[in-house]
Amino acid sequence: MGRRVAIVGVGMTKFVRRAQETGQELAYHAAKMALDSCGLHLGQVDGVVLGSAPDSFDGVHMKGEYLSPGAGAWGKPYMRCFVGGATGVFSVINGWYYVASGLFDTCLVVCEEKMSSFQPHAQAAFLTIFDHTTERPLKPNLLWIFALEMNRYMSTYGLRKEDIALVAVKNKNNALDHPCAQIADKVTVEEILKSEVLAWPVQRLDVSPVSDGATAVVLANETVARRVTDKPVWIEGVGWALDTAYWTNRDLCYPRYVEEAARMAYKMAGVTDPRHQIHVAEPYDPFDYKELHHMEGLLLCGKGEAPQLTVDGVTRRDGELPVCPSGGLLGVGNPISAAGLMKVAELFWQLRGEAGKRQIARKAKRGIAQAWGDLMQVGAVVVVGI
Amino acid sequence: MALKERVERLTQTKAWYGELPVESLYTAGIAGERFFRTLKDNGEFSGTKCKCCGIVYVPGRIFCERCFAPLEEWLTVASYGTLESWTVVYVGLDGSRLAEPIIVGLIRLDGASTVLVHRLGEVTPDTLSIGMKFTAVLKPKTKREGAITDILYFKPV
Ligand SMILES: [Zn+2]
Repeated sequence: MGRRVAIVGVGMTKFVRRAQETGQELAYHAAKMALDSCGLHLGQVDGVVLGSAPDSFDGVHMKGEYLSPGAGAWGKPYMRCFVGGATGVFSVINGWYYVASGLFDTCLVVCEEKMSSFQPHAQAAFLTIFDHTTERPLKPNLLWIFALEMNRYMSTYGLRKEDIALVAVKNKNNALDHPCAQIADKVTVEEILKSEVLAWPVQRLDVSPVSDGATAVVLANETVARRVTDKPVWIEGVGWALDTAYWTNRDLCYPRYVEEAARMAYKMAGVTDPRHQIHVAEPYDPFDYKELHHMEGLLLCGKGEAPQLTVDGVTRRDGELPVCPSGGLLGVGNPISAAGLMKVAELFWQLRGEAGKRQIARKAKRGIAQAWGDLMQVGAVVVVGI
Repeated sequence: MALKERVERLTQTKAWYGELPVESLYTAGIAGERFFRTLKDNGEFSGTKCKCCGIVYVPGRIFCERCFAPLEEWLTVASYGTLESWTVVYVGLDGSRLAEPIIVGLIRLDGASTVLVHRLGEVTPDTLSIGMKFTAVLKPKTKREGAITDILYFKPV
């Protein structure tokens, strides 16, 4: 499976509602922090991968080219990757294969999003991702997909909104301990159930916010990794898969594309029993029900079982299988690609025992991060271990 | 494959106009804020210098793109410099002929390593040559708003 690849450094800006910094400046801060964290300088970076979601968020066409100075790409091989919301985790996969192939010894992976640029609200950027013939005339937005999925999920398993809201309570509470968090908050199930309905059954507090921010990681081959750190976090498996672009034809209640991506990553990592061999998980949680959906897709529990694990406290930081100990997108914020990469960063800190107040109670040697995107039918998965 | 060019009216085939509506609110950034405030308030061009590479970035930036050093040393460069290249533009964004052609040039301000693109004025194409000295013509202070268009054009020294 190619050469071993480790994550050796991580950097992350605060996630905020509206940053004064330009996208380039945000990218620079994260990239510089990541390099400093492992004592490497830009001259020691062989190639750069940039992840960023639609150009329209930042309001810059060909955003990859625009962001390149901040990503450290000057004079280097540079690639932008983009699979919508899954970009943050996919960018690590992208960087992984440059190092695993032997092409590069080191690769800097930078993800940036400045969603506050889009006026009046980033949500409107999504109108034009829908089919221009059969869907756009109906003026759809992404909430339609989420609401239709959530309703289907709830109806299939007879779930109550109260149970699903526990995910938002857990994650927003976890984020209180994240120094980069945007909306960490103590919220209660009652407050979530009383919040404004956006598209039934999705309510305001079921949703992550729009954010500005950047995250970066440094990848290295084994030789470099052993030289720069005592605690490399190895990329043990990667996987990604796509379901149909006709989103209405998907199984709305089960993310099969996540399962396929996970199976690919597990096979590479030699994981045969995810429920016991994965010790900490960072599934993509732009909505509370999506954490549950994705836990099931990642085979961390059976179909329809994730809500009960949440009710039982299994997914809390002091639980047997901590899920989104970072605070997730719901708590830390959701600058799309940067939020996905933040999940990988969290695993890095958790496995190294450097997560501070967020450190999970159980001993963890292996974790999984996952993100979800495009027209909500792509899954990207990375398994990391020490 | 059907050729839409043969269809003379949109009613003959199913086609319609649509748009990708995008409206953005931009910030100049940490460095840009300082550059444009200095231009607006003092009518000066400010930049940052990388101590490692010796590059002077104008407009200033908070980091060196070549070595990634944080840049904290601000300085003022001249408001005049050297013409690096120029062109005369006859067509607009939609491809139609401009009523008046415009002259566009690249100016490296004295003291700066980087180059600005802007309009040239008070000059005719037949007198232009690379290497000529140009100086900035700014809007009057009360009209300036902290934008690149606070520079009206560059004119020969
Ligand atoms: Zn430099």
